[in-house]
Amino acid sequence: MAIERIDPELCVGCAVCVDSCSMDVIRMDEKSGKAVITYKEDCVLCGFCGRDCPEKAIFLSPVICAPPTVAW
Amino acid sequence: MSIERIYETDVLVIGGGIAGSFSAIRAREQGADVIMVDKGYVGKAGATPMASLGYLVYNKEWGTDLNACIDAVTRKGEYVNNREWTEAVFADSLSTYKDLVAWGADFPIENPDGAPYFKAYSPFTIIPVGTPTTGMPGRRQAEKVGVKIMDKIVITDLLKADGRVIGAVGYQLLGEDLCIFLAGATVLCAGFTSVLKGDGDAMAYRAGAELTTKEYAYTWPAAGKLPGGRRGVAAHNVFMRYRDSQGKSIDASDTYEMDLTMEFLVHEGRAPIFWDLGAASPGDVERMRKRQESAYPWDPWEFDPAQGGKIEMNGGDGGMNVCSQTGGIWPVNMKCASTIPGLFTAGECCGTRYVGGYHTAPGFGLTGSAVTGSRAGRGAAEFAQENRRPAVDEAEVARLKRILASPIERKGGFSPRWAAQMLQNSITPYYMKYIKHASRLQAGLTIVEFLRDHVVPKLYARDRHELWLCHETRNMVVSAEMVLRASMFRTESRANHYREDYPRRNDPEWLAWVKLQERDGGMKLWKEPVPNEWWPDLSRPYEERYPRRFPGE
Repeated sequence: MAIERIDPELCVGCAVCVDSCSMDVIRMDEKSGKAVITYKEDCVLCGFCGRDCPEKAIFLSPVICAPPTVAW
Repeated sequence: MSIERIYETDVLVIGGGIAGSFSAIRAREQGADVIMVDKGYVGKAGATPMASLGYLVYNKEWGTDLNACIDAVTRKGEYVNNREWTEAVFADSLSTYKDLVAWGADFPIENPDGAPYFKAYSPFTIIPVGTPTTGMPGRRQAEKVGVKIMDKIVITDLLKADGRVIGAVGYQLLGEDLCIFLAGATVLCAGFTSVLKGDGDAMAYRAGAELTTKEYAYTWPAAGKLPGGRRGVAAHNVFMRYRDSQGKSIDASDTYEMDLTMEFLVHEGRAPIFWDLGAASPGDVERMRKRQESAYPWDPWEFDPAQGGKIEMNGGDGGMNVCSQTGGIWPVNMKCASTIPGLFTAGECCGTRYVGGYHTAPGFGLTGSAVTGSRAGRGAAEFAQENRRPAVDEAEVARLKRILASPIERKGGFSPRWAAQMLQNSITPYYMKYIKHASRLQAGLTIVEFLRDHVVPKLYARDRHELWLCHETRNMVVSAEMVLRASMFRTESRANHYREDYPRRNDPEWLAWVKLQERDGGMKLWKEPVPNEWWPDLSRPYEERYPRRFPGE
């Protein structure tokens, strides 16, 4: 359920997903006014962004594990 | 950190889950000005949105027996619950439930006979929680009563003056501000130690508070092959039957946290362990479907019982996890005051020990957080009204500002993601936190001390997001040290604390709580005896006092 993609065509810039993400993975892009995945590596797979998006613009992958951080 | 802003208030609430919301609302109802901050979004952050199963309610009109409930907690928690707190949580539970209903929380009725609670957890009455869960109703009510809510504020340390907590220091995650909060009283509701970080416990520890009960592990199983690790978890709660790799059936339907069952099997080499869906009757499947669809309507039940042999279970969740609602900051009274004047605590960072050494049943977490939240909010408002706040110690503010900004001002250093992962790799394996032994605990402690002394002081942040990760990592290292030292200190086994080198309960020595505090730059631990009137009858044979056997006894 890791966040995979936010469809810029479907996103209306409501920023609900920014509030739903407790890991600060999603930020608003000032220029486009749309939500963008900014810190994907910190996704904890809760899926709340996809649940709360009123436009169904967020796509979650079926991945079940976060990728490891191998280098310091 | 170009802009520095100072906020003054009567009561500062740190953390915006269910404990924070109840604290803020109660303090406001007492007439206090209240600011509630969260590093995420109040109502959606923290552990509260994950609490999708139940809400414990004691209601004598449902035929529940209060003494039977308290005794059941004591037996399951193996005589180290604080019975005064156990009783307080039951006593206050109905009023907090009614508050949540009034604020718009959803409690679906799932029983065909219309009973509002699960039938499975006798003698307790646990109300199913639906969606939206309890977070957002708390936020809306807080807004309605005039709590000032500040989202996306990362608090890094508590601020002290004259031996008192007078607020906190933090920064805006999405803006430019450095924030200094000056408060008549501060309520820490930033627990979540049961799963991961323990910001509240670590901040209180650094401020000199006494803490307790860090040795009991959280052993809630997670389904390893369900997408997201949590899908199906609501359904899983109502059908806890498993099968080990040898085909042996494990019926855990009368337990909640599995009492280390999976870890013992894994230690014997009997992994993997499967969710035994193949044993489910059509009635069981229907119950699972209802539960799943109430708790996660966006994620409907779609499991074919024939998949039963394919869904692997993991043991207890990763993280620094401590059995929730038991360990944390030592409360000196029933108003959740800590040992430091001006500091109150609620939720998972309040060390009430009300479940003892074992998280008894679903719903105890949410209800305990609401009850301690209510009490801490009232206590903090009273304290703020009765005590003048001492003057700010400017040197202390400057010191905390330096600590806050140091990772982002460094030119380089260690990634907080890497450091957190190294910590978790060292501490979360089953042979460290669940099946414990002095030699392995010492090995873990050696790594944690190295991270504490060498890595944490050199954590490096490229931006404000990473700065937040740096401060969380710093807190996780403190939490890990508490868990390891408390586990090493308790030289017996009890409830969810199992020592392979001390596999029996030792009542004469260990009907006691482990307390800890920072003294002279180090972590000091000592015992606080459980009052004699709460002890089991020691004239009864050991096997009767403790029906459950540990391996190696």
